[in-house]
Amino acid sequence: MVRMDKNDHAAIQAVLSGDKDAYGALVQRHSQSLFRVAFRITGNEADADDVVQDAFLRGYLKLETFESRANFGTWIYRIAVRCALDKISSINRMNDRMRVGSDTDPEQDEIQVADETAGPDRLLLSGEIAAMQRDAMFSLTPTEQSAFVLRHMEGRTTEEIGDALGIASNAAKQAVFRAVQKLRRRLSTLKGESMARSSSLRVRL
Amino acid sequence: MKHLTEEELIEHGYGEGDKVLIEEHFAVCRECEKAFSAVQADLAEMKFPLPPSRSHDYGEAVWQSLRNQLPAYDAPKRSWLNGGLFRGLSYAAVCALLLACAFAGGRLWERRQAKISATNHPTLPQPVGATEHATPRVVVVVLSDHLDRSERLLVELKHVDAHSTEMVSPLRDEARNLLPANRICRQKAKQDDDPALTGALDHLDRLLAELANEPGGLNSATISRLQDEMNKDGLLFEVRVLRSRIPHAQGTGADSSKGGTI
Repeated sequence: MVRMDKNDHAAIQAVLSGDKDAYGALVQRHSQSLFRVAFRITGNEADADDVVQDAFLRGYLKLETFESRANFGTWIYRIAVRCALDKISSINRMNDRMRVGSDTDPEQDEIQVADETAGPDRLLLSGEIAAMQRDAMFSLTPTEQSAFVLRHMEGRTTEEIGDALGIASNAAKQAVFRAVQKLRRRLSTLKGESMARSSSLRVRL
Repeated sequence: MKHLTEEELIEHGYGEGDKVLIEEHFAVCRECEKAFSAVQADLAEMKFPLPPSRSHDYGEAVWQSLRNQLPAYDAPKRSWLNGGLFRGLSYAAVCALLLACAFAGGRLWERRQAKISATNHPTLPQPVGATEHATPRVVVVVLSDHLDRSERLLVELKHVDAHSTEMVSPLRDEARNLLPANRICRQKAKQDDDPALTGALDHLDRLLAELANEPGGLNSATISRLQDEMNKDGLLFEVRVLRSRIPHAQGTGADSSKGGTI
């Protein structure tokens, strides 16, 4: 958890008094933790960098609404999570449009997705499970994905997840549950397919 | 027996939920315990690559890319309502409070001083309204002063040369000054039921009135007549006797002036 100290408050006061450069200290202090969570949610370095910049930009523009008793680290972290959520939502929408634009046949679409994720030869490679997991992650909704990242990787409590995503604690708990449930099903299926394909390859060889 | 749901098992796997209750259930339900082991195994298997590390100057790079996009905040302006007016009202209230305290303090100090003065000098006059006995004392001082001045006037009248016009004007002016005070003293003497004083002041009143308001002005005949009347009535002697009766006839100037304000 990013700690809040007096320097953050002093920097915020300086920024609000017209010293723009004081915000640089806040950016330098909190950018690493924001990148970490942004990467975990987006799964992509470039997108994570975009999220970090977007979060600090949004934070700067909303700095007047920041309550002096709050923790700036927590506050900017929450903004970053929402930026990441927006990012993956927009990526998903774009992918959907491209998929619909190129081919409207759902069966064909399914085949394309399978081709993107795994082929028989790739499944034999070490680390393929990790790739499957990553792909499985993208089968989740943005909220489920973010909630799962915050719970499973960042170790946040249900309340913190709800707070970060702007949803009720119970909804956050449900999102985590649905994410884990979907991942388990998906990974179970993929592992089954992987084992079957490996067996058939061995037989052919 | 009711089995635990997958949601409860996942929640337990993340260390949330009612741990004691679930552990108790596992003790009697092998099926749920097995299901939980599967959940745990799946959760443990969900390992994702660590985020790539960023260099120490990553924050600086982010800041440099952002810096030019950010507008500077205006320095906060002092609001007229929040700052100026409120502060002005506060000062005004404090000043008013100080004035009120000073006024109250002055009043208290004056009363305290009057009490101390009364204790140390019981016969000295008290401020108006300080005690019920203050008024007579004030009149006593005025009376003694008045009798002093009256005595001097009578002495001058007794010895004035009836044919000299030099002393006529000062005598008339002094009589005019003494006349209002004499009436106050006479009124007070009447209230106090003091016939000797009342009678003497009556005589004095007539004399002063003639001296002050003689229609044709003071001439030698009038002065001679008044001298005769004064000697005949023994007014000067009477005034001296009365003056000697009044204690502290030689009151301080301060006392006299206080008495004179009545």
